[in-house]
Amino acid sequence: MKILIRMIGIATTLFWIFLIVFFISAVYSAKDIDFDFGVPQVGLSPDNKILFSLPITIGNKGYYDIGSFNVTTEISDQEGFMITRASTFIPVIEKGRQIVATHKDTIDINALLQKSQDYLFNDAELEVHETVGIKLADVIPVQASTNFTLPWGAPLYNFTLGRTEYSRFNGTYVTATVPTYFENHASFDLAVIIRVYMYAGTNILVGEGQTTVETPQNTPYHGQMELDIPVDAIAESGHFEVYFSTAFFDFGPLVIPYG
Amino acid sequence: MAEEKRDSNDRLQEFALKILKATIKGVVFCGIYFVLSMFLAPVLEAVPNALQMIEIFVVVYVFLMIVGELTKGSIFHHFFNAAKALFSILYLAFCLNGGIVGTTVQNVSLIVDLRLFLVVAMLLGLLGLAKSVLQAINFLNEKTEHVRF
Repeated sequence: MKILIRMIGIATTLFWIFLIVFFISAVYSAKDIDFDFGVPQVGLSPDNKILFSLPITIGNKGYYDIGSFNVTTEISDQEGFMITRASTFIPVIEKGRQIVATHKDTIDINALLQKSQDYLFNDAELEVHETVGIKLADVIPVQASTNFTLPWGAPLYNFTLGRTEYSRFNGTYVTATVPTYFENHASFDLAVIIRVYMYAGTNILVGEGQTTVETPQNTPYHGQMELDIPVDAIAESGHFEVYFSTAFFDFGPLVIPYG
Repeated sequence: MAEEKRDSNDRLQEFALKILKATIKGVVFCGIYFVLSMFLAPVLEAVPNALQMIEIFVVVYVFLMIVGELTKGSIFHHFFNAAKALFSILYLAFCLNGGIVGTTVQNVSLIVDLRLFLVVAMLLGLLGLAKSVLQAINFLNEKTEHVRF
């Protein structure tokens, strides 16, 4: 009986020592893990979506390997509708090694516009939920998460068509000049084809025009569209239907009444 | 008369030895705690009340250890050892909140999953409790044999 008790005592003590030393060294070595998040880049993905890239450098100078490194980004609108979700996973970061990874997240504006066309014409705040998880010594899971807001800049902010002016009368046709204005608040340069259809009265198509506009980010655009319309089709009131086509999205019609 | 005096001196000497042993054990335990807390300080500072909780654990554990050492040779020694093991299990389960420890620092929520550590620690605590129970049984067994003789 005494031998058994002594054996249990020795085994318990040894296991306690092992457990405490392992736990403390694992937690202590956590301070030797370096995370460096680089400058986020915005670009275009091969499938024509907006691509956010975040370079991450992880240096493991601790005593143990790091397991299951995971970064997850969830972007949703103010109402909680999830716009995009992306994850980057590294199974193991061995001790003494440095790993550079790129966390990529794409936003499909076409999918965003199905939710609301406001994202094209009005700035908004998007909710970002960021989670970083690791397994210290491949055993102790640690997770850090945070919420913050991301300003969404509308690519066609405050899109307006000004007062139509008619000129260059050639007997049967006049040229209608429609001033066009918007600001590109997006985080990317915009190259957009704008097609405008002019309707007189209730629904009679009287003319159409097209222009290609290139607007760098955070830049206003002042321009004008020219439409040839029959003289007898000039009406006091009607509406324009505007279609936008870019590498990122296609949108239309935007109906703007006149008169 | 002389025999009684010698017996009393022996008891006093035995008790002084127990006190010395208990003091040494307590000092060594506290020393280990201070060394380990130095290593853990940078991490523990981030978790509110963590240092306080560990201090309370160390104080109670050292108290039970000293009292257990002073009552050595009696059944109370095993009671205190069992109490020490039970206290370790319950206090760990209580402090570690079932193994999920969380804190929030400047809008960043940090969660550490210590369930595996807690399970192993509780199993070791149970092993310590089993050892104390076996020791108590063995003690009573030996005492009964002693009385019979």
